[in-house]
Amino acid sequence: MSETAAKTFGTISEEAYRDLEEAVGPENASREPGVLDGYAWQPTNNDHPTERWVKRPVAVVLPGSTAEVQAVVRACNRHGLKFKAFSTGWGVWCGPTYDNVVQVDLRRMNRILEIDEKNMYAVVEPYAIAAQIQAEVMKKGLNLHIHGSGPNCSPLASATSGWGVGHDSIYMSYSPRNVLGAEWVLPDGEVLRLGAPGSGLGWFSGDGPGPSLRGVMRGSAGALSGLGIFTKCALKLYNWPGPPRIETEGCLLDARSEIPENMGFYLCAFPDRASFLEAVLKMGEAEIGYNALRTATAAYLNVMTPRLFKRLTDTKAIRDLMGKTLEYTIMMVLAANSREELDYQAGSLLSIVEDAGGIALDMSTQKPFVRMALMGFVRATIPALVFRIGGSFNTALDRNDALDTQENWRDACLAIKEEWISKGGILDDMGDNPYYVPYENNMWAHCEVVYQFDHRKPEHRAALEPIFLDFTIAALEQCMEPMFSSDPRVRAIIGPLAGGFNRWQREVSKALDPGEAADSTLYCGEGAFDLSAVDGAKVKRLNELIEKLKPEA
Amino acid sequence: MALADYKRDMEGCSRCSSCKWVPFNQIKSWRFAKNCPSICRYNFHAYSGSGRMIIANSILEGRSELNEAVAEIVYRCQLCGACDTACKVYRDDIDLTEVLLELRAFCVESGELLVEHMAVIDALKREDNVLGEPKERRGEWAAGLPLKDINRETCEVFFHAGCRYSYDPDLRDTLRGAVSLLLDAGVEVGIAGAEESCCGGRAYELGYRGEAANYADDLLSRVKASGARTLVTACADGYAHLRYLYPRMGKELPCEVLHITQYLDRLLAGGRLRLRNSLPTLFTYHDPCHLGRMGEPFLSDWKGDKLERPMSLKRAGRKGVYEEPRRLLRALPGAGLAEMERIREYAWCCGAGGGVLEAFPDFALWTAAERLEEALASGAEALATACPWCVRAFRDTASQAGIDLPVYDLIDLAVTAAGISVPAPA
Ligand SMILES: Cc1cc2nc3c(=O)[nH]c(=O)nc-3n(C[C@H](O)[C@H](O)[C@H](O)COP(=O)(O)OP(=O)(O)OC[C@H]3O[C@@H](n4cnc5c(N)ncnc54)[C@H](O)[C@@H]3O)c2cc1C
Ligand code: SF4
Ligand code: SF4
Repeated sequence: MSETAAKTFGTISEEAYRDLEEAVGPENASREPGVLDGYAWQPTNNDHPTERWVKRPVAVVLPGSTAEVQAVVRACNRHGLKFKAFSTGWGVWCGPTYDNVVQVDLRRMNRILEIDEKNMYAVVEPYAIAAQIQAEVMKKGLNLHIHGSGPNCSPLASATSGWGVGHDSIYMSYSPRNVLGAEWVLPDGEVLRLGAPGSGLGWFSGDGPGPSLRGVMRGSAGALSGLGIFTKCALKLYNWPGPPRIETEGCLLDARSEIPENMGFYLCAFPDRASFLEAVLKMGEAEIGYNALRTATAAYLNVMTPRLFKRLTDTKAIRDLMGKTLEYTIMMVLAANSREELDYQAGSLLSIVEDAGGIALDMSTQKPFVRMALMGFVRATIPALVFRIGGSFNTALDRNDALDTQENWRDACLAIKEEWISKGGILDDMGDNPYYVPYENNMWAHCEVVYQFDHRKPEHRAALEPIFLDFTIAALEQCMEPMFSSDPRVRAIIGPLAGGFNRWQREVSKALDPGEAADSTLYCGEGAFDLSAVDGAKVKRLNELIEKLKPEA
Repeated sequence: MALADYKRDMEGCSRCSSCKWVPFNQIKSWRFAKNCPSICRYNFHAYSGSGRMIIANSILEGRSELNEAVAEIVYRCQLCGACDTACKVYRDDIDLTEVLLELRAFCVESGELLVEHMAVIDALKREDNVLGEPKERRGEWAAGLPLKDINRETCEVFFHAGCRYSYDPDLRDTLRGAVSLLLDAGVEVGIAGAEESCCGGRAYELGYRGEAANYADDLLSRVKASGARTLVTACADGYAHLRYLYPRMGKELPCEVLHITQYLDRLLAGGRLRLRNSLPTLFTYHDPCHLGRMGEPFLSDWKGDKLERPMSLKRAGRKGVYEEPRRLLRALPGAGLAEMERIREYAWCCGAGGGVLEAFPDFALWTAAERLEEALASGAEALATACPWCVRAFRDTASQAGIDLPVYDLIDLAVTAAGISVPAPA
């Protein structure tokens, strides 16, 4: 270790490290700088202007059981260290934010403990990823909600700790709804079992008999490891009317899947916003749809053929076709238990679309597309393609809300993106790139707006924080508490304006974490945007909005 | 190229961990969902393809240093390429295997060597083979076979035997069987005999670039002198190196390079190989990494921004040799094929590659045992494969771990089914 590097990074005392080794076994602990940097490299959604590295943890541990997690947490409390857990560890929110953090990598806790076919739930550990769980439960005619980041992620992490929408939400809702009991190592090392398991009655309910602290545990965005570590949870399972295994050749864009008999694929396009919203609401009333994703037509082309996309979008007529003619589209995947049911669902869908003045393209006639895209929908294997165009992406997260508010959010984000595309701060994806999913009878929806960049380019990195500030201002304009309020800069601005949720978070943190052992920055920390280089008019608008929205004393 | 030339690849890593898994469309169970032996065995992120790239980046940025512990992490990897293939499902701008190879070379340049690897290189320098066996005995396997000596004569097919086949007493008959099949089909086959050297690929993988280049030059000059239009090798390892590393080093052979399974497949299609005898067995087929994803030919040394690289030049593992061995297996009368869950470009490695067998035999054994478990789970009665290193690894593991699963080289199965007589060594 060179001297300069040693000065930059936190270190751990011999005694503390010995305690960690004792907790998990020496082979499952490390403080080797090269190994630790494997946890400090967190470029995804990292909007730091110069660094893709986050704080380097002082040690990393790989617990193999709840008892070992408890021992690690207690060791942190004893030695004035903090802990930060993750399951799969994808994203800047997984890394340490202090100089004295022990990274708890839960990869050894990787089992599916139980699949209760009759009561339709699975009990899992943190590192059982969605693809694994799905492969197993499909064998029993069941399926699980996979959040939109994809099958490489941990359903437990999503259910207990962070966000959770996906393009199956139309059928399976979103992660917080799907957690049926959890085992929670609190920041002081005690174990709390939520829901029915809290009374020793199995895993069938998240709200009792037994303690129900779902709101405290999960809240809106999730505590992101700021309130302890979840070691088990039960996930609600849903009907899967397809085969036990979808036979597929190929890996993704070259994939050819066998299309299950009772599935239908429709790309529905609408003339305008009103007709789109009307139709989606009616689809909700009709209770149809297994997957639903509204995204821009250009977005598909963008991730599937990025080079072609770049060339095509130089042509104004093509831009207009993709951007305007096909502006309001939604991909609907239907899945039914019988041919008759599929006919019913398809019939309903077609008449809803027709009534709204739209058109529905039966994509199942487009065999190569459907055979390629099937797993993309059912297993959510497509989203990570978003890295293809520039190697990085960020997203303007909304607050899940009524369908029309999501359209407002999309419009606002589109305007911001266009500004930054023209300035060369982000890549040209034609601006409109929503990830919009309706759910719960389509009474509400989630819409986040994706923007892509190459974090290896300084001009892109320099634009990240200012863009993020623009989205924050846009959220304020719409009186919206965005889901990215887990960011300390946004929380500091919006918390006081939105019922003082930041104060409540601090109180919960104090109560559950007297030793301040959790790295809780993303749960209740507060920060500030760097406004030094921001356009004065924007700063003025920000301050005006803060003033205007301030609750009366 | 040097490690620093791959900085953009390293910086491209989003830490999505796809490189730890079978491509997600292909995950069929909880049990056989993972693809990287190294991270599965050692668990810290540093042991994944991504982790090693991060280490490299960290060293280049002066955040950490290459030391013995870090070098050992670098070397506890089979260089099997599974991470690269999985990453490339999503990414166009990261050549993960290249980074891993450069990292090895960087370790060697920096003096972070493993004694076991140095022993291999010493053996190579001394005897021109990675096993340290006497050079003069290299051609003994061919005694009594009517083969041309390419050191003196020209020939139609240049047959490169490879180190493992040439010396492993258990596998010599397989090699004799391979050339006997060719001879039986009327092919004129030449070998270099005692003059044959290692292809140098293993040296390259261990990070010893100079040695690898010397062996490439040696083979290149022999092929030229032989006048052969086709080089056939039965060694999957060698196949990959001739198809990929040689052109990458600017030493492309002036002939077509085929693996024996490809050549036999052609003979079969042309009616020159007839498989008559029944082998009523349900086989599973193990794709050797170096015949499959790592056997994909060299496509280009793209110098610009990889985000602009044409897709046809992206090495994603799909152009490896997958069909020919399967066609051969299916052509065996009475035989059936039960596929494992991890196949083709996302197959699990046998564990022997990348210098792991030599330096970390317990890890090699663990990796092979994992594959044998998967083979058993497929319901097959026997495992067939097409690489001498894989055969060796599986047979040794099966006997040491008490796993009851016969392991065959496809060549032996073809010989039995063809019913040809392989003359005993003279
Ligand atoms: C391409 C892409 C698309 C995305 N799309 C969506 C989307 O559509 N919907 C959505 O909801 N999210 C989305 N995300 C965000 C996604 O949820 C996160 O990337 C998440 O990190 C995925 O990994 P994971 O679920 O395995 O959790 P991890 O990466 O392991 O962790 C996520 C967070 O939870 C904490 N955590 C994890 N496990 C535990 C535990 N056991 N106990 C306590 N805390 C824990 C971590 O500290 C971290 O803060 C997307 C991300 C990407 C990169
Ligand atoms: S798959 Fe590629 S981008 Fe993802 S973590 Fe691995 S190396 Fe990095
Ligand atoms: S080459 Fe193989 S063993 Fe090495 S990191 Fe990649 S997948 Fe793992």
